[in-house]
Amino acid sequence: MKRSPWRITLSVWHALLLREAVARMFGRRAAVVWLLLEPVAGIAFMLLIFSVLRTRFVGGMDTLLWLSSGLLAFYLFRRTAIQGASAVGANQALYTYRQVKPVDTVLTRCVLEGALMLVIAMLVFSALGLIGVPLQLHDPLQVMASLLGLWLLGVGWGLGVSVTTELLPESAILLNLVMMPLMLISGAIFPLSAIPHPWREWLMYNPVAHGIEGVRAGISPSYHHVPELSLSYLLGFALVLVFLGLVLQRRFRSQLVSL
Amino acid sequence: MIEARDVHKRYQTDHGPGPWVLRGINLSIPAQTSVGLIGRNGAGKTTLLRLIGGVDQPTRGQVRRHSNVSWPMGFGGGLQGTLTGRQNAKFICRIYGQEADMAERLERIQAFAEIGTYFDEPVKIYSSGMKSRLQFALSLAFEFDVYISDEVTSTGDASFKAKAAQAFKDLVGKSSLIMTSHSTGTLKKFCTAGIWLHEGQAHWFDHIDDAVKAYEESISA
Repeated sequence: MKRSPWRITLSVWHALLLREAVARMFGRRAAVVWLLLEPVAGIAFMLLIFSVLRTRFVGGMDTLLWLSSGLLAFYLFRRTAIQGASAVGANQALYTYRQVKPVDTVLTRCVLEGALMLVIAMLVFSALGLIGVPLQLHDPLQVMASLLGLWLLGVGWGLGVSVTTELLPESAILLNLVMMPLMLISGAIFPLSAIPHPWREWLMYNPVAHGIEGVRAGISPSYHHVPELSLSYLLGFALVLVFLGLVLQRRFRSQLVSL
Repeated sequence: MIEARDVHKRYQTDHGPGPWVLRGINLSIPAQTSVGLIGRNGAGKTTLLRLIGGVDQPTRGQVRRHSNVSWPMGFGGGLQGTLTGRQNAKFICRIYGQEADMAERLERIQAFAEIGTYFDEPVKIYSSGMKSRLQFALSLAFEFDVYISDEVTSTGDASFKAKAAQAFKDLVGKSSLIMTSHSTGTLKKFCTAGIWLHEGQAHWFDHIDDAVKAYEESISA
């Protein structure tokens, strides 16, 4: 029985997805708890700082809602990017089976991480509703487009960085340095609209900032988002990044397998 | 039938491209013929098996598989340490699209591997003998025209070796084998033809005894 290439790829994705899900959720002791606790702790910590500053509203949006949406949106990008970037190295044993290609492991990890972050976000927002935060959903399509853009940015990062880390291990250190200040300059925990005129335009070259502001603007109609906000910039940037990542995967596909 | 046309292979090292491991291999391995691969350490036996198995691509030239070839069974490869034996087995069933009769296949694998309750423990705590048993059982659970074995029988104990021998014997007539082993006795037992790898070239022998003789003369010389 001969299977078509497309069928083979689908069964590989299915198998990898289940394999990754088991490893991610049950790989370590209480791994599921940590999965949820990490973003929640991040939000709680920032909330503590904002309550010390006695800030009730940020740009016309409830502080807790502003923080949660911004941080969860940022985590969607960061966790997808980091998980994707480590996929090629972590699955070396599986390339023994010629059906499994490095790019498959990156893509399935990104899909899994995106799905997990959606579940986590729903749990967090349900909890926010229970404690009386005024939840709104002004423009669901814009929220979805912004989340899609952030996720695609993570996928593109994962595809590209997983190649550069295998070929040039030093590049991982450099790229992690970029990841660190990204939370701050993307406006996840700091309102970008408070930054004065010439500097803000510079910061808005960063597509992650567009995604985070896009989510907030889609949630709350009264939110004063950064005027430069552009979803087409976000989605265009993300698609170019994914394309570049796929090109790198294709170009260096045989160097990625090292048993 | 498996064909290799002008296959060259070298690996990338930290200091640029490494030396040529294989330099212009031309082979056609007929169907239903079990072949023993022989050569000294570093002659490129594992490299050639990986190219035949499609795990790696040749630097130049090409390998064509006209039949259904297994993955190379060998040291460590193909098992994810953090997952249990059963989870690894399920993964392989899924990538081969054999989900309908997965339960039955898992039972066969478990029975053949004879690793008892370790089947539900993470593979990283297995001994090397247990790993080979599992790898061997895994590949036998699927019907291939050609099975590739890279020293997989050498780490087992006497009872496992006997069992593996019987399993290989049962395959005769249905499938063939491409194997390496440092024990020439094993090769003579299972293979009819032989390939002697020497200085990046492959020499084909219709009889494994001649291949072993050529190899032994090359070391004594």
